[in-house]
Amino acid sequence: MAVAGLLTAAGTGIWLFAQEPPTPVFKSKVDLVVLSFTVTDNKGKYVNGLKPSDFKILEDGIPQKLATFAEGSKPPQQILADGSMRPLLPGSPEAEKAGPSAVNGDAFVGTNVFVLFDTSNFMYKGFVYAEDAIADFVRGLDKADSVAVYTFSRNLSRAAKLTGDRNDALLGLRKAVAGDDTALYNGLLLTLRDAAKVPGRKVVIVFSNGPDNASMVAPDDVRAVAEDEGIPIYVISTNDVNKDPISSSVFRRLATRTGGKAYWAKTWQKQVEAFDQIREDLGNSYTITYYPAPNPNEGFRKIAIQIPSDTGKRYRVQSRPGYRPRSF
Amino acid sequence: MVKGAAAGFLFLVLPLFASEATDKAHKYEDAGDSTAARNLYRQALQQTPNDAELRTAHAEFLERYHDPAAREEYRRAVQAWKRDNKTKEASAAARRAVMLDLIAGDRKAAEEDLEEYKALGGGDLRLPDAAGEKEKPQTIVIPGPLRSFARMAAISADSPPEDILPALARNVVTNGFQASRSNDELEETEYLKLVHRYLAQARELEKMAGAEQVIKVPGCESAQTNDLLRILGFRMRGGCGSEVVLETVNAPRAFLSTDSGFPLAQLEQSLRTDKPFSYDYHPTVVPVLYNPDYWITTKEKAQGEFIDAFLGDPSLCRFYLGMAKLDPETAAALKQAMNAVRLRAFASVLDFFGGNFEIRNGRAVLPGGQKSAAGWAELAGASPEKGAEFFEKLMIRDDGWLASLYDALARIHGPLQDYLTEPARMRRFYAAVRGKITTPGPARPVFRANADMMLLTTRLQIDPDGKPHIPGSIEVWKNLFGKSKGGKYDAKLSKASAQWKDPDDLLEALFALSRKPVDNEPLKIFMALTDIDRSRAAPLEAATVDRLVKGWNMFGPQYTVFSDSPAITDQTVLAWLDTAEAVDKIRDSRLRQDTIGMYQGLTGIWQIFCRQGSISVSKASDALAAMVTPFAAVKNNRELFDAGRQGLTLLVKSTGTTAGTMQERMLALLAGGPKVDDSETRTSLVQDEQRIFEAQKLLPADLIFELADNLEGVAKGEKLNAQLASKMAARVADIQLPRNSMTGAEKNIMAFGFYVDKHIDDERKLNFRAMIDKAGKDKNPEVLKDIRGTLAPTLRDTIVGYNYIHYSPPGAQILLTNPLFVRGHDFIGMQGANRSWRVTEMYGSGWPSNAGGRLVGSLAGLPYALAEAEQNFLVPTQTQALIWGDLVPQMILTAKAPRFWSVKPVQMHWVGMNMRFAEDEVAEAAVNPAARQEVFDAVDSAASPWRASLIRTAITNGDVKGALDYMTPSEMYWVARNLAGKPGQNSPAAREIAHIRSIAAEDVSPREISKAWGTPKPTLSNSYRSELLNIRTFPTLMGYSSRIMAESWESNLLYWAEVGDAIGAQPAQLNALVPEWTQKVVERIFASHLEDWPALLKSLRSVGEEVRTESNKTGAAAKAGTE
Repeated sequence: MAVAGLLTAAGTGIWLFAQEPPTPVFKSKVDLVVLSFTVTDNKGKYVNGLKPSDFKILEDGIPQKLATFAEGSKPPQQILADGSMRPLLPGSPEAEKAGPSAVNGDAFVGTNVFVLFDTSNFMYKGFVYAEDAIADFVRGLDKADSVAVYTFSRNLSRAAKLTGDRNDALLGLRKAVAGDDTALYNGLLLTLRDAAKVPGRKVVIVFSNGPDNASMVAPDDVRAVAEDEGIPIYVISTNDVNKDPISSSVFRRLATRTGGKAYWAKTWQKQVEAFDQIREDLGNSYTITYYPAPNPNEGFRKIAIQIPSDTGKRYRVQSRPGYRPRSF
Repeated sequence: MVKGAAAGFLFLVLPLFASEATDKAHKYEDAGDSTAARNLYRQALQQTPNDAELRTAHAEFLERYHDPAAREEYRRAVQAWKRDNKTKEASAAARRAVMLDLIAGDRKAAEEDLEEYKALGGGDLRLPDAAGEKEKPQTIVIPGPLRSFARMAAISADSPPEDILPALARNVVTNGFQASRSNDELEETEYLKLVHRYLAQARELEKMAGAEQVIKVPGCESAQTNDLLRILGFRMRGGCGSEVVLETVNAPRAFLSTDSGFPLAQLEQSLRTDKPFSYDYHPTVVPVLYNPDYWITTKEKAQGEFIDAFLGDPSLCRFYLGMAKLDPETAAALKQAMNAVRLRAFASVLDFFGGNFEIRNGRAVLPGGQKSAAGWAELAGASPEKGAEFFEKLMIRDDGWLASLYDALARIHGPLQDYLTEPARMRRFYAAVRGKITTPGPARPVFRANADMMLLTTRLQIDPDGKPHIPGSIEVWKNLFGKSKGGKYDAKLSKASAQWKDPDDLLEALFALSRKPVDNEPLKIFMALTDIDRSRAAPLEAATVDRLVKGWNMFGPQYTVFSDSPAITDQTVLAWLDTAEAVDKIRDSRLRQDTIGMYQGLTGIWQIFCRQGSISVSKASDALAAMVTPFAAVKNNRELFDAGRQGLTLLVKSTGTTAGTMQERMLALLAGGPKVDDSETRTSLVQDEQRIFEAQKLLPADLIFELADNLEGVAKGEKLNAQLASKMAARVADIQLPRNSMTGAEKNIMAFGFYVDKHIDDERKLNFRAMIDKAGKDKNPEVLKDIRGTLAPTLRDTIVGYNYIHYSPPGAQILLTNPLFVRGHDFIGMQGANRSWRVTEMYGSGWPSNAGGRLVGSLAGLPYALAEAEQNFLVPTQTQALIWGDLVPQMILTAKAPRFWSVKPVQMHWVGMNMRFAEDEVAEAAVNPAARQEVFDAVDSAASPWRASLIRTAITNGDVKGALDYMTPSEMYWVARNLAGKPGQNSPAAREIAHIRSIAAEDVSPREISKAWGTPKPTLSNSYRSELLNIRTFPTLMGYSSRIMAESWESNLLYWAEVGDAIGAQPAQLNALVPEWTQKVVERIFASHLEDWPALLKSLRSVGEEVRTESNKTGAAAKAGTE
């Protein structure tokens, strides 16, 4: 769940008065829910070209009114009261109104991809091949995407901070150094915290062989953070699915509960394939935002994405199942 | 950040005379408001910019606050005085400018200002020739660039060239070899194998780089491309052009290329764009001690380069390391007296203990001085007059035991050193620690073995009567040794203890036990009880001490409770122990864990309140006694709840706070200080506490009490407050239990969490309505009353949570992410191993399907355990660096446990002025040979001989900044204290120190400064109270491991005091700033090894400079108007 911060817009809120008393400024501090998802048909093929009106979003069964809509890496559209759409781009009156830290088109164009690369002892043998696969992935990202490359062993290292420049990301990646212990979930948590600060759509891609021997936080607590922040986690394990069943089951849970996917790719070719699929996922996903309708539930809020049309009923939507609103 | 409230109200209508402005400004400074003083000077100078006196006063002000603009302001003052034809004053201002130039490391400016000074008649300063006085060191060559080699050899890239070989030697000794599985020989570790492989690759690249020592690839299709890629282990995918991509073809080579930081991304980019690629491949030239031939034989030389012989011989590395620790004069004397082969035989002794060997003018410098000379001569078998021979004998005598004693005694000073170095006594204690069988000596293991002896010699207390302090009486200790089961410590000592009469009898036994590699329980008890007595007005009574000795096994880690509050009475100590024993006997495990948790939690809150003055000294003991009493009789949850409620209420009441709800008061009190205010800092700390409280889904004490009252009312026929009950239910229902899919190993490990799971499950299943309905059906009012007892586990979590919140480390990722972290505290531990009163430990990290790490044991070590658990969430700024696990938890603890609400601005200013004064004295020594010896002596007393020699050399060479960079803030502070007050001192800092003394002597007494800026040392001094011990940094030790080493670093808070003073912060603001600054320091440390203090120092100063620069920027625009 991304926080939009102070938003100047029509909607529910508190009346505050600016310096000129006759001109009221309508402000509300609300949490904007960002929801990324893919739609596939019964053969597993991506379904593209759907419109906002094709979807019905329910939160604990309460229908939600969409604020923006985007498909793939296309620029987002603002959804007006009458259901029509118009571009939400920097410079537009709406974006100007929204202010720099609020919803603006720029922030929502493309995806902010955080790659988390395991450089611990466990990855020692496959270290260079993994780097090659990640480098290929970075090179192949959509122009609109931004990418950060983080590495971890016992500690996290922000090898390349979020950037639109692929060379910067590759420079950071090639700086990676083999480390010692594996604190995967610590590293993932910190990556999610960084990702949560970035407006717009974001995903985290974990590249690891699985075992963790140093984290202080549990995967499910980390997963809850991803769920709440609306950040899908994709996992590429360089291990056999059956070799480490605990890690495999954790990876599966992390991915599915956050709207991402898990891949087991022991060879370099498989790793490249997994990255290709992730890239495809990113290019074929929908991103919507909405301000939650009043909901007394302060615990976990279940999100349902429905496509009410007859054909739509046969489609499969992959998304995070819900989130917990911030309590403080 | 910077106090600026006073900035706005100053509006000067009439010009102020210089003296008037200076007086006013100084009054602001005395009141701790340097911002107001700064503004006053600024405005006064706007009105009278040519007033020389005002300019000088302003320059002195800027100097006091470490403002870089001071130098320029002195120069302006020189010109102003010259305009007024006052040469003497102009000369004095020019002299100050010279000093500040040197401190800033600006030699060129110093030379110019010195010329000005001389032109004005100054004749007492001489700037040593910068280059001429330095001897050019011999060097060796390592293939490839330094950065690449450093990465592969696990050496900080920030290390100066002269540190490369010692750091490498250390890594080879500690990480380069391991026991072979197939035979008795050592075999290389993967670390060393990789270094060798890297060197082979670097040599290939060097060949390719040719005579120019630059790797050049003219274009993508050039012949060099393939050659280079082959060496690097890569190939091109796709033909030359924009699509070309480098991919691995030879994994081992590619790994070396990547891991050593070869610029692959740049190479790939050049190939894509078909532009020439060029990479400077000059080899690394690093200084070697003496000359290469000293270290390797002609035969080794013929077989390869120096670096190969060095890496292949761990004993050579140990020898190099040992010699590198000697100060040059001592090393030269030893080298002259002993050839390399003989010296190498004692490499391990030199490595561990040589750092404190000192030969001056051919004579050994002895701990205890001349009066101990006869003793040392007898022990070593050589006269200290012949320094080299003395140390040779010292080393060969007994495999290092005597050298270890020398090292331990050289680290201390004052009456303690005098006592321990009295010849007869020294002989006796040496015989005890040496024993009859001397092998293996204390220098044999990788880390020095007899840490206990160092602890004893450092922390033994000498009473005013000149005798060592023995807690209780000698009888207590005779009992301990004499009645120990089967003489468990040492059969002979147990037997001999019956005859003990004198404190030295006990000390001899403690020395004797220090040589044993096993846990030295008597020493730990002795030190813990000494530390309790240390700050008390009257020592504990013998009976109390006896009880504490007997209770050590069970309650030892809890004794910090008694040392944290010196006013605690013997009765309260005994009451606390009685109750703890009673609580520990509760049979029902769930009730026991909740009672222990609540008891320790409340004790912890009491400790926090006492330490920060929220509970006054006079009320402390009674408050604890009253809190303790109800727990002695707890038999069920209802009684436990009532005891907990009563205890918490009583503690809060003892603080005298009344405003706000219990929860508001608790959070405000935990933020610290004797008084609760509404300052910005406190508000921000309270908000952080609140976030953690919410993340842990704890229930505010008020809500629990309200619900309990309501349940009490229900028992009398009132209605249940459904809203309250559902509020609580909603809070608890959301808690998820840990997942249960564990491996067999995990189940075994997690078996200690059995009662924790029950505890959480009980809270989740609480259903008051059902309980009330059931009790109503049974028509039993007692059962109704018991319902409030079900709130006891929840109250326990809240009370324990208050402790966690107070010590929460910066970032607090675990507390903010794992909602069960507080509830999951395991007070019982694994079945059969009662951990309830043992020190807090971290368990369960690194298992993907557990519920995350948790803390097990008592709350006695909570601050450290929390810091330890959190440290790996800090993110090093350097790719290669890792968090320094041996040091960082203590640094976090130092940033969180001390609070600065009661610290006075004058105490912060005092530290700042002493730092300035130390800088000034070092600068004076550099340009004024007459002042040099005094400064050298002060440095010698504060730093080890080796580092003191570096400082002395830098001073002699006129490199003031270099000398200051070698000095830690605590050393600078002690050097200043040693030198201050001597006649003729007239620098602004010296005058300010004298002024502060005249207005606030008590506030700046050693005791108060120690309290304000000392660090907590739970291992070294058994207390979380802040204290400055003025000790040299400890090495890594076996047994007590890294904690003592980390606790010996006393510089952080002294440095933050200086920085805070320079930026005009108020001490209270440091409560928020110190954790923030400390986190930055930790993230910037790039250390090569466990004793890499310079790396920490560098990081500390980089953060401090950044803070100062940021602060200066704020004032820069305003200042511009005055210039």
